[in-house]
Amino acid sequence: MAQSEQLPVQQAREGQPAAWDTLFRRYQLPLFVYVFELVHHEQTSLDLVQETFIAAAKHIGSLREDDKFGSWLFGIAHQKCLLLWRKKGGKEILLDEIPDAPDEGIESPDDFLIRHEQEAEFMSLLNELPLPQRSVLLLHFVEDFSLEEIARITETQIGTVKSRLHYAKKSLRKLLEAKNENTP
Amino acid sequence: MKTPLDILLARHQATAPKLDTLRRDVINSQFRQRNIAVIILGFPTLLWRELVWPSRRIWMGLAAIWLFLLGINFSMRDHSQATMAKVMPSPPMILAFRQQQQLMSELLNPTDVPVAEPKKPYAPRPGSQRRRETTTA
Repeated sequence: MAQSEQLPVQQAREGQPAAWDTLFRRYQLPLFVYVFELVHHEQTSLDLVQETFIAAAKHIGSLREDDKFGSWLFGIAHQKCLLLWRKKGGKEILLDEIPDAPDEGIESPDDFLIRHEQEAEFMSLLNELPLPQRSVLLLHFVEDFSLEEIARITETQIGTVKSRLHYAKKSLRKLLEAKNENTP
Repeated sequence: MKTPLDILLARHQATAPKLDTLRRDVINSQFRQRNIAVIILGFPTLLWRELVWPSRRIWMGLAAIWLFLLGINFSMRDHSQATMAKVMPSPPMILAFRQQQQLMSELLNPTDVPVAEPKKPYAPRPGSQRRRETTTA
């Protein structure tokens, strides 16, 4: 998990370019994966990652806890995605209402293992999920953020995050199982 | 068997060089500008840190002396202005002084310009006298 890492956030606050290089290098690919899987356009995703980095460098002072740098950075990227959708005339597509999830523990992303032949199917199934569920699931898969962190990134209630994650995983499992049954 | 993260990262691994370039660009643009700003804004800070702060007691002493001297200077200036106002002569005194000065200058430097003679009144001469003068000539 990102929280246990020793990242040079304090040095970055002091404006050391080497520290920023380390931080950006650590998060550039996961951040791109998250943004790309939401917007599905390479150049737009690259632009959003760039904007996120610039915003992070400018507003590092607003980060309260150094160990929350990862979720803070993803929060900026998430807001950039929302702004992009709003500019394109999209409504609050990440704010759907779903029923509460049953009170059960959240399994680790590593428990969700996919066979080699299922990889392509997994990606297409992921893209079939509604955006709010996909967003939460990606944050869980990519950085293994906690429910609290995902709630902070997406600016939603923890209960909502829990529901989305539960239904997203359930949908994905169901879709994978259905595919497995169909294949001889 | 792979985790979702493995699949997602592998799918986008080809973008890594583009992301490297992007990262370098951001760092160059953000921190080069900031370094220039730091150089410009940092000079007074550097002066303060290196020159003033280490010997702050000496500087404070000097500042106190300067303030004391400034205070004295101001008080002296006020006092001299008040004195000047008191010493200023009254208008009759000035007039008398000017008259006295004029008199002194007249006495010490008399004018060299000659006094013009008064004009003689015209007296016509007799006609016989004029004729004689013509014959002799």
